[in-house]
Amino acid sequence: MHAPDVSSGPPTGSSAAADPWQPLPARARLLFVLGGLTLAIPFAIAPAVLAEVFDLTTPWLVGPFGGLLGAVLGAWLGIKQHRYTWWLLDDDGFSLRRGRLWRSETRVPESRVQHLDLKRGPLQRRYRLATLVIHTAGTRHSAVTVPCLDEGDAERLRDRLARQVDGDDD
Amino acid sequence: MSWLFVLIQQLKQFIVPLIALLIFGQGDRNELWPLIGVGVLAVVSLWQYFTYRYRIADDSLIIHSGVLQRSARHIPFARIHNVALHQSLLHRMFGVAEVRLESAGGQKPEAQMRVLTLADALALEALVRRRGHAPANVGDAQPETGTLLLQLPPAEVVRLGLVSNRGLIVLGGAFAAASQFSPRLLPNMFERWGKTLFGYAGSHQFDTAQYALAAVSFVLAFVLLLRLLSVALALLQYYGFRLDEIGHRLTVERGLLTRLRTSASRRRIQAWTLREGLVHRLLKRRSLQVDTAVAEQHDQPQRGLRELAPIATAPQCDALIAHLLPRAQWPPDQWQQLHPRAWWRLALPGVLLSMLLTAGSSWYFGPWGALALLWLPWSLHSARQHSRRAGYVLDATLVGVREGWWSRHWRFAEIDKLQALRWTQSPIDRRYGMATLWLDTTGAGALALPLRIRHLPEAQARALFARLGTEIARRPLRG
Repeated sequence: MHAPDVSSGPPTGSSAAADPWQPLPARARLLFVLGGLTLAIPFAIAPAVLAEVFDLTTPWLVGPFGGLLGAVLGAWLGIKQHRYTWWLLDDDGFSLRRGRLWRSETRVPESRVQHLDLKRGPLQRRYRLATLVIHTAGTRHSAVTVPCLDEGDAERLRDRLARQVDGDDD
Repeated sequence: MSWLFVLIQQLKQFIVPLIALLIFGQGDRNELWPLIGVGVLAVVSLWQYFTYRYRIADDSLIIHSGVLQRSARHIPFARIHNVALHQSLLHRMFGVAEVRLESAGGQKPEAQMRVLTLADALALEALVRRRGHAPANVGDAQPETGTLLLQLPPAEVVRLGLVSNRGLIVLGGAFAAASQFSPRLLPNMFERWGKTLFGYAGSHQFDTAQYALAAVSFVLAFVLLLRLLSVALALLQYYGFRLDEIGHRLTVERGLLTRLRTSASRRRIQAWTLREGLVHRLLKRRSLQVDTAVAEQHDQPQRGLRELAPIATAPQCDALIAHLLPRAQWPPDQWQQLHPRAWWRLALPGVLLSMLLTAGSSWYFGPWGALALLWLPWSLHSARQHSRRAGYVLDATLVGVREGWWSRHWRFAEIDKLQALRWTQSPIDRRYGMATLWLDTTGAGALALPLRIRHLPEAQARALFARLGTEIARRPLRG
């Protein structure tokens, strides 16, 4: 890291009390890790296929090794993704900040929300988590997905964002 | 008589395979079995046609359709974004038209009247125009005559053909069809071409210059053919192009054999694209396109109102924009510059590419491969030129960007029409203190140019992001 920039990326830790940016609940980390573990599959298959095609070694040796590597990498990425995701709701709309190396911040003004989806998988239900998808009428960023929010937060967000007045009378 | 059109439309897609079957079939009677299927389909479509009725209520159109399962669909006039009239040569001979009514989104037209007399079709279009926008004063006689905004004489259409690469599609299609027809045709053709060229060359001992001449002449002939095809296609599609403004709606009419007439409300325009390629610049022309909320489809790319000015001079384009966006100031007085080091960031992909290219070609050709390194100064120079001309503008109504050097474009939208915003920063961007803003609009196709302000100074990007966020939230979504 070069210049410590305060403007982008919320301060992690110290001044958390005044920080309006909300992190994901700690119990969501497990789901991110589990999601990351799926990276093991391509990491196992690719070297196994290469080994078989070029007749280097037996695929049964490199496959599990690659899988293990993929699993570790995926889990690590999952933890990072979980840690570097924040959301914010203010008077004007909703914001989502993601990433540490490649940072992005998405802003959905409240007046542009078209409809909202709340999704809960079996594991998410077990940990009282929910995924919120905010749809706008746009094209490239028409669906903003906030994964694994606290269930209560997700419902509050949905109700609040769905409240907007539909001024489209013509 | 109108059922004839439905029948023809239905049978059209079967005609070619059927003829192919009859000609290339081995005389086996079994191959005529598909005819029964075609017959059944034709009868079903005719039946559907005869059960299709539409009725005009106060503020909506009611469509009854269906054979066994009847359905009635109410379409409020205000929700109809786009009215498209389609007249093929056959339609024109009988003075009828096909009408499609489109609303935002959706994959299919809301309503599709296969055959209406032209007078009925135009009356329907006028009805949508009146009811959609002035429900209070239906009784008032609104001025039905529009003002002509742009008309393309044939010479302009020829210019349009010169700048476009439409011929490529025809050529590609012809090659594909030819190879379907006879798989050996293309290889044989190439072989013969090679034989004439090299055989001739072999007997006469051509030197390098003559070789180069032959190659260049071949390329030139190909380019010429492409241009001719493009011009022919442009004449076919854009002959007699005119853009009218009737009330609040814009209407485009064009086509030599098949006439197309589409109309959309001015308010429904979501984003604007002004383009100027190299050939455009040689001819001193630009082209102006707009996005509307009607979803584009691959098989019917000409459903919506898309091209306001397929080709026009720069002052004409600017006047058109100024007329249709009266509250915005176009062209803007001053464009804001990007980050001072943006040129370096823009050059980065080119630099990496030239490194890879050099590595690859030196490995393959030996020391001569290092010539690929010449690409490096060129990509640096073009990035420099690009960043010098790139910029953005933001005023009370409009946000826009301009990009490009050889081939330039301007992309802009009203702030009211923006949807979500995104701010991104890669590690390299952070190193130089820049960031990129993405502004999302409705109706931009997958291949459309993004409305994005690249490589801004970070503080500026932050300020813009915050300002646009609050601006959009204050403004209700319209159209």
